[in-house]
Amino acid sequence: MAVYRTHMKIIGEILETTQADLQDGNGASVTYLIRKANISHSRISGILSTLVSQGLLEQTATSGTNKYKISQSGREFLHAYYAFTKFADSFGLSI
Amino acid sequence: MEFLLENILNLTGFLVGLGIGVMSLIGYKNTGSPTLFRLTVAFFSISAGFFVIWAGYTAEDLFLHTGSIEGWVQTLGTGIQTVGYFFIAFSHSIKSFFPKSAHFRMMIPLPLFLTSSVQLEHIFRSMSFIFLAYGAIETMLSYFENRNRGAISVAVGLGLLALGEFLGWYSFVFPDSILYPASMVSRIGGLIALFIPVSRVPLTRVRFDK
Repeated sequence: MAVYRTHMKIIGEILETTQADLQDGNGASVTYLIRKANISHSRISGILSTLVSQGLLEQTATSGTNKYKISQSGREFLHAYYAFTKFADSFGLSI
Repeated sequence: MEFLLENILNLTGFLVGLGIGVMSLIGYKNTGSPTLFRLTVAFFSISAGFFVIWAGYTAEDLFLHTGSIEGWVQTLGTGIQTVGYFFIAFSHSIKSFFPKSAHFRMMIPLPLFLTSSVQLEHIFRSMSFIFLAYGAIETMLSYFENRNRGAISVAVGLGLLALGEFLGWYSFVFPDSILYPASMVSRIGGLIALFIPVSRVPLTRVRFDK
């Protein structure tokens, strides 16, 4: 059975991927994020621009391709995300 | 004895509700999650409900001595708590609670104008029981999916609160029996069980957004 992921969970997974699985020091490419976070290109584009505008991700252009790295605010958000996922889980809910 | 239990229950409810409400608010400020917003509204409502009853009884005993406001205070506090229990149940995605027709929706508040405060309290308590039982069952089902042990404690807490509401409602039938004190003990136990997993959430580096 397919498991429904909330918007917040997808954001958490994208940030998690940019934090844990960096291919090189410049950040993760869109293709890599699509594969790791299991999300379509059209959907991830909107989410990435929101995360960059909110300061949770840093965007760098390396040899013509955009790469994304987690920022300090992104790390803090991810920490809060882990803590409150556990909190919501206790109530049988997803954040 | 009953007065002491009533005070313990209302103060515990006020503090536990406030504690979980503040924690949910911190979570909402940090993540913007709508689920945490609903939990914030739910637990602030529950806390406010207990506070209204506690403040009403205390004011009546210490200053007012009118002998007439206790029923209304109890009804008002119970009503505010019911709003909180509704939001807990609503977080578990109640999709078909309200009728779809706009005409029927307009009729929903009508009984509230046709009943006395005692009957209103019956209605609030029975609604609270339904919301709490629903929340307890959904939380227990989520435990079977995720095996998160905190969910057992919350499910037991909501279950004990539901039992307390049921016994409190049933005590109208048998006043001056052991049912009402048993209802209060059950609800105090429920509130404590509700707070156990929440108190274990690590909040050391989480702060309010600027």
